[in-house]
Amino acid sequence: MAEAASSAPLSFDNFDKAKRMQGELTKRYFQRLLTAKEQGRKVGYAFVMANPIELFNVFDIVPLYPEITSLNISYRGGAPPLISLSEEMGYSTDACGYVKMGVASVTEGTSTSIGVLPKPDVLLLTFSGCQIYIHWWEQLHYQTGAEVLVVDVPYVRERDGKVPSHDVKYVASQLEESIPQLERVSGKKFREEEFRETMRLSAEAWDLWRKCIEMGKLTPCPMDAYFEAIYYMAPITIARGTQECVDFYRFLLDELNARAEHGVGPTKKEEYRLVYEGVPNYPFFKNFWGLFREHNARGVAATYPKVAGMIDTDSFRINPDRPFESLAEYMIHAYCNWNMPMRTDLIEKYVRDYRADGVVIHSIKSCRSFSMGQGDIREHLAKDLDIPTLLIESDHVDPRYYSEAQTRNRVDAFFETLALRKGGGGN
Amino acid sequence: MQALRTYFAGIDAGSTYTKGALVDDRGALVETTVDMTGINIVTATKKAYAQLLEKAGVSEGQVAYVIGTGYGRYRITFGNTQVTEISCHAKGAHALFPGTRTVLDMGGQDTKAIRVNDRGEVVDFCMNDKCAAGTGRFIEGSARVLGLSLKQVGTLSMNSSNPVKVSSTCAVFAETETQEQLAWGNKLEDVLYGIHVSIATRSIGLLRRVGIDPEITFTGGVSQNPGMIRCLEEQLGQKLNTSPLTNFCGALGAALFAREKYENTTGTGRSAA
Ligand SMILES: Nc1ncnc2c1ncn2[C@@H]1O[C@H](COP(=O)(O)OP(=O)(O)OP(=O)(O)O)[C@@H](O)[C@H]1O
Ligand code: SF4
Ligand SMILES: [Mg+2]
Repeated sequence: MAEAASSAPLSFDNFDKAKRMQGELTKRYFQRLLTAKEQGRKVGYAFVMANPIELFNVFDIVPLYPEITSLNISYRGGAPPLISLSEEMGYSTDACGYVKMGVASVTEGTSTSIGVLPKPDVLLLTFSGCQIYIHWWEQLHYQTGAEVLVVDVPYVRERDGKVPSHDVKYVASQLEESIPQLERVSGKKFREEEFRETMRLSAEAWDLWRKCIEMGKLTPCPMDAYFEAIYYMAPITIARGTQECVDFYRFLLDELNARAEHGVGPTKKEEYRLVYEGVPNYPFFKNFWGLFREHNARGVAATYPKVAGMIDTDSFRINPDRPFESLAEYMIHAYCNWNMPMRTDLIEKYVRDYRADGVVIHSIKSCRSFSMGQGDIREHLAKDLDIPTLLIESDHVDPRYYSEAQTRNRVDAFFETLALRKGGGGN
Repeated sequence: MQALRTYFAGIDAGSTYTKGALVDDRGALVETTVDMTGINIVTATKKAYAQLLEKAGVSEGQVAYVIGTGYGRYRITFGNTQVTEISCHAKGAHALFPGTRTVLDMGGQDTKAIRVNDRGEVVDFCMNDKCAAGTGRFIEGSARVLGLSLKQVGTLSMNSSNPVKVSSTCAVFAETETQEQLAWGNKLEDVLYGIHVSIATRSIGLLRRVGIDPEITFTGGVSQNPGMIRCLEEQLGQKLNTSPLTNFCGALGAALFAREKYENTTGTGRSAA
């Protein structure tokens, strides 16, 4: 009996528990967020890129990332009413969907598909590559009266990614100077041991997360490093600096190792290995993934899951002994804060290190920070390096910009060219 | 005595027209057909197939393999499999003009720039974004507001000596702009040619993205428009390959894929004949 059971092939479900764990963790986070005010907690709004959430942890400020609430609402199909509301307020169809949903969400009387979002007590503005961030927070300040805490982050200007030490000092000193303001907003004193502890937990989670994503180098790749990694990246963004976050990545790493050991992965087999660039399409996420999954393609590396932090590039390492400096380095090396040649080099390196067959760029209408230059990236990869590269366009939250038939046409044709390259004979 | 011949069919269910092509067991084109796609793709493709066989005097039983392509490719109920129109146009263009290295397919809703190798296989491609501006729809819209046929639009535009600059990039606004330009006293042929210039400019942008390697073969329904051929040739400074058959490149490519696929799967080569 036991013999027979163990020899039966295990289904993928047995190796797909981390996503459920992530779902529960996210649910707990939303619960904490939606009840924060009742429990006398302060709420701080922050951006995904370059947020020193570890500082919030010390003051027990609950972070709300409007980018994450927006994508979650959109994933559940709740974007259109918020986008309409923002357009009634006068926002152009061309403005970033995250911003429009974010603004609509804090408008009096608005309930979203994840609930009524708490208003901010402080708006942490970490400018890092997205110009819109500034105007967005300015608008939220007008709407809610919450104070803005500005941390200016200089752009990475050198082609090789070298950052002058005065840039690091500049950001680190702003972080130190923010402490009195955070003490005043939260009514809590800064405690150094607590800061060190949350930094230690943060570093531990980063190390584990890095190990997870680097498993994409295996053949076959045990995960989809784009579509699945988008679920997996949630804890490092919303729960960094906590034990819960460390536990999640330990579990994920074990699960991925088990997948590798048993030779299972997110598609029946691995026929194509792809590198992805760009923000996904959230309103049609599963449908969009399906266009690739049905060709047995697995994402082996991707830039987007690194918006939480460029952990696999050796550009930063959280260090409890240099807390402000290491946080500053992490913030400076936000993906959209990198110059274009660095971004192109990274994609090229992914193709090489992860032995990919091609690159898929998903460009979104909303976001200049991401989409600007993607045409040039495509051209460089395809023409100079002869790497098959597909550029497709839609939006991350606005369902009006996605047409399945048109996208499928491009994706199917891309796989036909990949098949030819692999000597598969076209179709 | 010779047994009945075997044939292969390609059906290109495009957003605007459904095209059919039939090739024989040596890959030679035997017959073509074209009709509006209309609102019911399933019916349109069935009708196209029946017409194709009737015109060729071939029975359904003689057709060994059918491949569907175009937007409606998954709606073709009688087909054996599907291939995208990108690969099909490449193959069809290469079959008609073996020196082809770049293909420009202008259809009703999409414009595709395709780079191919010496076997007619797709190396790279680019398509217009989700917008009808640089496509046949743009011409159709203008033809409609002016009460002209598609044939007339292209032919009349050839008389232009002083093309008007059409600034709108939107297919819907272009209709209004066409009327405005006429109201301002511009000549009809100059306005029409201006529309062609606007579309050609956009497609050349796409071509540049994949790289412009001669020979260039111009395919799709818009390749039947003499105004557009002139306009593209003027702007590119080189001749394009076109013929009455380039309208059928998608269907022809599909039929040729059908023949290959059949021979690969049966491993019988031409022994079916
Ligand atoms: N005889 C003709 N003269 C001029 N233009 C023509 C002619 N026939 C078709 N067209 C043009 O071709 C367009 C349709 O081309 P085609 O049949 O290649 O499109 P499709 O394959 O249905 O569309 P798509 O490939 O975008 O899905 C029409 O919009 C029209 O502008
Ligand atoms: S423009 Fe891009 S980076 Fe800026 S908020 Fe929108 S999605 Fe984020
Ligand atoms: Mg077509």
